[in-house]
Amino acid sequence: MQTDNRKKLIELRNLRKIYRVGTELVHALRGVTLSIHENEFVAIMGPSGSGKSTLMNILGCLDVPTEGDYFLAGEDVAKLSQSGLARIRGRQIGFVFQNFELLPRMTALKNVQLPLMYSQLPKSKQRAIAALEMVGLADRAKHRPNQLSGGQRQRVAIARALAQQPAIILADEPTGNLDTKTGNEIMAVFDMLHGAGQTIIIVTHEPDIAMRCKRVVTLRDGLVSSDTVPSEGLESVESQRIAS
Amino acid sequence: MNGELPITNDSMPHSAAALASPFVIGNSKLVIPPESRLGKAVHSLTGGLLRHWQNILTAFVQVWANKGRSVLTTLGIIIGVTSTITVVSMVQGFGNYVTDIIRGFGTNLIFVFPYSPEGFKDILLGRVTMDVDDVRAVGARCDKVRRISPIIFSQATIEFGRSKVSNVRIRGATEEFQSIRSFYVDKGRFFGPLEVDRGAYVCALGADMLRQLQCDERIVGEDIYISGQRFRVLGILEPKGKVMDDNPDEVVVLPYTTALKVWPEMRVFMPFMVEATGEKDAAECALQITRVLRERHNIPPGTISDFRVHTQDELLRDLERVKVAATSVLAGIVGISLIVGGIGVMNVMLVSVTERTREIGLRKSVGGRRRDIMAQFLTEAVVLAVVGGSIGVFLGYSICYVASLHPSMVKVNVPMWAVALGLTCSAGVGVLFGMIPAFKAAILHPIDALRHE
Repeated sequence: MQTDNRKKLIELRNLRKIYRVGTELVHALRGVTLSIHENEFVAIMGPSGSGKSTLMNILGCLDVPTEGDYFLAGEDVAKLSQSGLARIRGRQIGFVFQNFELLPRMTALKNVQLPLMYSQLPKSKQRAIAALEMVGLADRAKHRPNQLSGGQRQRVAIARALAQQPAIILADEPTGNLDTKTGNEIMAVFDMLHGAGQTIIIVTHEPDIAMRCKRVVTLRDGLVSSDTVPSEGLESVESQRIAS
Repeated sequence: MNGELPITNDSMPHSAAALASPFVIGNSKLVIPPESRLGKAVHSLTGGLLRHWQNILTAFVQVWANKGRSVLTTLGIIIGVTSTITVVSMVQGFGNYVTDIIRGFGTNLIFVFPYSPEGFKDILLGRVTMDVDDVRAVGARCDKVRRISPIIFSQATIEFGRSKVSNVRIRGATEEFQSIRSFYVDKGRFFGPLEVDRGAYVCALGADMLRQLQCDERIVGEDIYISGQRFRVLGILEPKGKVMDDNPDEVVVLPYTTALKVWPEMRVFMPFMVEATGEKDAAECALQITRVLRERHNIPPGTISDFRVHTQDELLRDLERVKVAATSVLAGIVGISLIVGGIGVMNVMLVSVTERTREIGLRKSVGGRRRDIMAQFLTEAVVLAVVGGSIGVFLGYSICYVASLHPSMVKVNVPMWAVALGLTCSAGVGVLFGMIPAFKAAILHPIDALRHE
């Protein structure tokens, strides 16, 4: 791993998130410190209740931490307003969801254009077609989601995430609703994007999926319990990064 | 494939420049660089328009996807707008009809009546007076008066041969009646000044009297009995046509001098009509008449006159007041049905927001701000309401068209301002009642919205 000369994209420092459920306080994150560099391919794992969903929501700027710092491409997003967060979500983050979340009444192309509509980037159609080409679905641009298979739908969703050319792609259980074969195809798409320089974070509980990533961050009880490179065994790399 | 799309965010401006849209002006291409202020303005403008256009399209898709629900929802608005269009058009149609008739009399026509704020009591007690000397004085001293004639109003029973008609309107006037009222004799002749001076027992019949007396135009030269007195029929007046319930052809005109012989009590209660020298002089003429009569009746300044001067302008203004009153009653009804319609729109929009919570979550996660979501749902509410309004306009037009097919119906044309008002009101209702659902959608938390089942 030659991470040192690459740009730091995400930097979390002592991130905490406390929810109030009724009268009880739930500590979902208890001080997560984590750095992710450009063009990394990271899996975030952990059992349910470990805080991985909370972490993903914060990484995706859907939520703000109670405490701690979050720098995304050098910008402190922990203190942003609602519309500031929306802007970051639109420009810097491409979401891929477990159940695709395509709008059923729109064609694949229109679905991919949706984020571009909000960011008001010019030439949205060309951008959307380029994104569909990347996932190999340019010929399905005029199809509606119900005319596509599950794998194709997820690829449309990935194209939608790509359309803005975001800093990170954030995928939440992207293969959760797909069979193994289709899941592998989706992972191949992510591999290809990673090869093209894209930074990707996948939240998953499937070890098979996590093993295909280049780095696995495991959460337990709101803390990072391990940070490993799958091919290199269980060696922790996180402490070295913080030191550097 | 790797080089096709620049991946990192830093390369964004370059890719935007590469994609800069060429604007073609004439034969030359003008490329506005996106980094320039103008370029940014153009982009934000076109992007904004695109977004609004997308919102409107999405809204239409939604409305179309729920056709039945949309129509039922907007029923209140449909009814409101339909009734606005229909009733406004009818009121306008009748108003124009009556206005035309009043104009037909000539707008330089002025009526002067004895009048008391106390009502008829004074008239019956003979305190209110206006006599032939007043009429002559006005005729002599007002230079804006072209023609003047007393007009005696009465009713009588008419007999001819075996026919007998009661409650026929009698008008006593001078030979000027024809010119002042633009109401001319068709057959035979009208009475002349000599017959007026003499108080001759002669008369002219309205066209409808022939039918009522069961005779034809050969009655000219025959005698009829009015209140038991024998009168020679000199002529038949041209038919004027019915004005709603009022039939000007159902009348008998006598010399006023003769009328005063039959009804002597009218001597001190003598209204008169005046033709001013021109339409523009009518108001001036009315002032002159007022001045002369006030002086003759010794009315001190600051007290109310014992007569009324009615110009056609005033009649038109009265008519306008009636139209305004009818329109405001209508406005109340329409207001209520628009509120009902608005509540319908709000209800269905709240349902729509709940149904599409996940969509809202997704839109937020791909960069939709609160105001974007708000704009989307507000647009949808407005589109829904305006679709209802348009159906209402269509129905209103149809009803007016069908109504105007009836032969005795006045000419009804739908005024553009009523259409504009109907559509504006429904759009306003959409905005007003779409606000709460749109706000509810806008403030949804993206995480909760995405998890919504």
